[in-house]
This record gives sequence, structure tokens and C-alpha cells, in this order.
Amino acid sequence: MRNIKFTASIIICLLIFVSGIALGSINVPFNEVISIISHKIFNTELLPSIISNHVSIVWNLRLPRTILAFIVGGALAISGTVMQSVLKNPLASSYTLGVSSGASLGAALVIVTGFRIPLLGLFTLPSIGLLCGLFTVFIAVKFAAKMDKNLENNTIILVGMVFSLFVNALLTLVTALSDEHLQQLTYWQMGSFSLKDWSSVLVLFPIVLVGAIVIRSYSREMDIMTFGEEQAFTMGVDVYRLKWLLLGLSAALTGSAVSFVGVIGFIDLIAPHVVRKIFGSSHRIVIPMSMIFGGSFMIICDLIARTIISPSELPVGAVTALVGAPFFAYVYFSKRKEL
Amino acid sequence: MLTLKNVSAGYNGYDVLKNISLNISEGENLCIIGPNGCGKTTLIKAIAGLIPHTGNIKINDVNILSMKRAEVAKKMAVMSQISSIYFSYTVYETVLLGRYLHMKDRSFKQPSVKDKEYTEKCLKAVDLYSLKDKQINTLSGGQLQRVYLARTLAQEPKIILLDEPTNHLDLKNQAELIDFLKNWSKEKGHAVIGVLHDLNLTMKLADNILLLDKGEIAAYGKATDVISSKLLNKVYDMDVAGYMTDSLKQWEYYTGEPFKLRKVN
Repeated sequence: MRNIKFTASIIICLLIFVSGIALGSINVPFNEVISIISHKIFNTELLPSIISNHVSIVWNLRLPRTILAFIVGGALAISGTVMQSVLKNPLASSYTLGVSSGASLGAALVIVTGFRIPLLGLFTLPSIGLLCGLFTVFIAVKFAAKMDKNLENNTIILVGMVFSLFVNALLTLVTALSDEHLQQLTYWQMGSFSLKDWSSVLVLFPIVLVGAIVIRSYSREMDIMTFGEEQAFTMGVDVYRLKWLLLGLSAALTGSAVSFVGVIGFIDLIAPHVVRKIFGSSHRIVIPMSMIFGGSFMIICDLIARTIISPSELPVGAVTALVGAPFFAYVYFSKRKEL
Repeated sequence: MLTLKNVSAGYNGYDVLKNISLNISEGENLCIIGPNGCGKTTLIKAIAGLIPHTGNIKINDVNILSMKRAEVAKKMAVMSQISSIYFSYTVYETVLLGRYLHMKDRSFKQPSVKDKEYTEKCLKAVDLYSLKDKQINTLSGGQLQRVYLARTLAQEPKIILLDEPTNHLDLKNQAELIDFLKNWSKEKGHAVIGVLHDLNLTMKLADNILLLDKGEIAAYGKATDVISSKLLNKVYDMDVAGYMTDSLKQWEYYTGEPFKLRKVN
């Protein structure tokens, strides 16, 4: 049964992926999309009906954008899965620990000051965002450890929320004091895949791939940790070290994703819930399937964001929240009803 | 098998337990009893390594502080109490997690054929095999406790630590759990160390009893000796034997069956 669900998910994901490339202000037929991609990668013959404009739209605009949406959605979903499992709280997410807020503040400071790290150039923004996201979670967990030697999950969540609110206040201050960048900052805080090209994909892809593989290798430990840390400790899991490692990795995933495309909420909350409902709780399955679900969901939201008021675009963060909030409510409450 | 010498432990710099020395041999069942706050759970946590301690805790003459966590976990397991289930797994998946240390050194921690067979053996041992595909959040308290017992057994420990394992269990499940543990330790030559509040269950399980009072040993020895000791009344601050016999008299009165002492297995 699980194999059928798995295969169905892969097929649906592929359909969504191709739709994300094919649909837009100009629709490109599915067979043309496949022909263009095949031509570019395997140097096969293009279908004779394809016009050069479509090649450019598919290869230079839609494909990198769709891949980026998938990677970002997948990264956020994996990050949410880890946060929820490690903190044993189904409502935990990157926001809970202030990762998104930290990354946003870092990126906002780069936008306002125009600061550039010489070697990184355009990648200054994502790098600083990533570092600030990591820094926030490091400070939050360190502070929590100071308050509570055992680093209890409730302490981490409460400290994370305090940090998140504080950093958000700083972000509001920076935004309010910067008339010149007000619109850019506001828009950035709502997330967008607009004008993203292959360079973003090439930088983000290896980060997310390595992060996902390392996190997936700790599936068993995460399974055990969901039963309680004391239990995990007595079963031989190095709980304290692993908690740091997994929170750090998920913060790195969120921080890097957020700093590329801005703040996009709800995916990290929804994806693990939906996947656990369909596939059960085993992290060996939940982690890859969360990535597939999160990535596909992000492609759909981006598709809505760029087509619903075409030729203008909505911020994708607004769409994920608009679609995600009722969807999450449905999933959460129907689950409670079942229980 | 397990020795404690002058072990003290507590929380936030305050010693709840003071100078506990014990020796648990193979095939022995030790029950720890005493009033609330006397340090029973603290002792289990100290032995399990969940809280720091001073003094020596040794398994087969090796200090647990000099052993790697995984080595300790291969020798000693803690059976958890029933608590909130945040994310539900199937019964089989949950018990398979007990094989974690045996899978740890393999790539991607994949279970071997032996791990799968051992998991099934543990499920059969606690009579849960027919429920192996059920989600654990749909089980009754008694069934869930058996799942946790099977997971503990899957760890292949030589010593099982229990902290009030019969909480939330009905009478039949309590009796079955105690019988199972007793048989397990005797058959395998392993040890069970359990905190129990119910003195009837304690008498069924224990070879030896440790009676704690305010973090110190009030009595330690053969179960029959400790339970008949006058210290029991002093520590519990009540007439324990009188209370027990009163309830037996009530049974006798209501059922009309004259009470006869049966030999404990």
C-alpha cells in the first residue's frame, strides 16, 4: 500500500513540476516543455512546432524558477519536520526558533546598507541571511541552555518565541526607518521567486541536497526522540549532541532558503502533518516525502502567485498563507476528529 | 551483575539520595519501595545515567561512567511509562526501534534479517504479534505498555529498569506484566530493578526489596524479611500489615471465601 502511495506521489509531483513550467501568462504545451528540456540536456531534436520564444521562456525563466520553488519548498518542509520531531511539538517550525526572523533581519540589513562581501557579490544577501538564521538559533538555544541545563523542549520553544518576537521588532524598526527600501523590504518579507535564475538554483541545490541527506541519515534517532528524550538517551541516542546538530541543520536549510526568496510561511508546518497523515511517522519516509510534498506545494503556490493577477504577481508568501491556513485547519481538525 | 557503592544523586546540587550501596546478581528481581519523595525514581534515574551521581555504579565490575552510552544501553534498558504520543507509529515500527543499537553501525541504520526476526520474537513474547500493523495511538493502556515492554526486550538488555510500570494498567495487565518480568529474569539469568507502589505486586515480583526513607536505605534484603520488618510501618508512618490484612478480611467478608495463603510463584 505504501509503495502505491509513494509511486502516486512521485507521479503527481512530476505532473505538478511540468505544469509549473508549462503554465503561466503564456502557456507552453506539455510535449513542448519535455522536448525543450530534453533538447537542452540530451541534445535531442526539438519538436518542429516549437518557437524560439518558448525555448527561452522554458529554459531561462520557468525551469529555474520551478526548480527553485521545489528546492525552497522541500528545504522548508524538511526543516519543519525536524523542528517538530526534535521539539516533540506538532506546531513547532522555523518561526518558533526565530530562524526566519533572524535570516530576514540579516537580509534586511544587507538590503538597507547595500553591504557586499567582495568575493560573494550577489550572494552576500543569502549568505548573511543564512548566517543570521543560524546565529539566531544558536543564541536562542544557548540562552535556553543557560535557563535550563537539561535543554527541555518547552524552554527552547518559549525562548525561541521570545527571540523571534524581539528580532521581528528590530526588523520592523529597520523597515520603518528605511523609506527608500520600504517597498522592497516589505515585498521581500512576503517572499517571491520572481527574477530568479539558474545561479540561485546552482547555489541552493547543493546546500539543500547535503542537508537533506545528512538529516535523513538520522531518521532512526528522530523516530526514537519522538518518544521522549530520556527514553532516547537510555536507548543509546546521543540526545544532546543530536539536538544541536539537527536544529542547526534545519536552521541552515531555512536560513538559506529564506535568504534567497524571502519569508515564506506555512509550508514547514503543513508538509510534515500531511505526510505523516498519509505515510505514517517513520522519518525514513517522512523526510523525503515532506520534501516532495513541500516542493510540489510551493510550485502550485508560485503558479497561483504569478498567474492569478497576470501579468502582475502576488507575493508567494501571501499565497502559501491563503491556501495553507485553511488547508492546515482542515488537516489538523479532521485528524483530531479521527482520534 | 550491577553494584552500587556509596551512590548519591539529586537535582540542582541537592542530594535526594545518600550513600546507597547495593549488589544485584543475575536472575534477581529487586523492588524499590518507600513513601513518595523518598528517592525511588531518583535512584532509577541515577542508575540509568539520566542524572549525575557520585559514588560508583558498575555493571560487571565496569564503572558505567567509563563506558560509552551505547555500551551501557546494550546492557541496561529502561522501560518507559505510558506517556503522550506525539507522532504515531505502528506497533512493529515502535518495537523495531529497540534494535537501534544493533542497527547503528550499518549504513543508513537498516534493520537486518536478525533484527526483524528478533522484533517479531519480542512481539510474540508479549502476545502482540497480531496487532503489529496497528497504530500505537489506537491501543489500550495495557496493550501500549506491552509494546514498550517488547521494545525494551528488543534492546536485548541484561538489566531492565522500571519506574512504576503498572501505572494506568488494570489488574489483569498488572499481574501479567509482573509474571512476564519474573519469568524473563529467571529464564535468562537477567535482572529486573523496579519501583513499585503496590506492595502486593512487589511481593509477587521481588526476590529482594530496598526500602528507602528520605533518600537513605531503611532496609535492604530478602523480600519476606523487609516486608515483615517493623521498619516498614515506621517508614510509611502507618500500620501497613494491618491495612493489608483489613482489605483481605473485607474480601473474605464480601466473597464468603475463607482466605488461604497461596505460595507465591
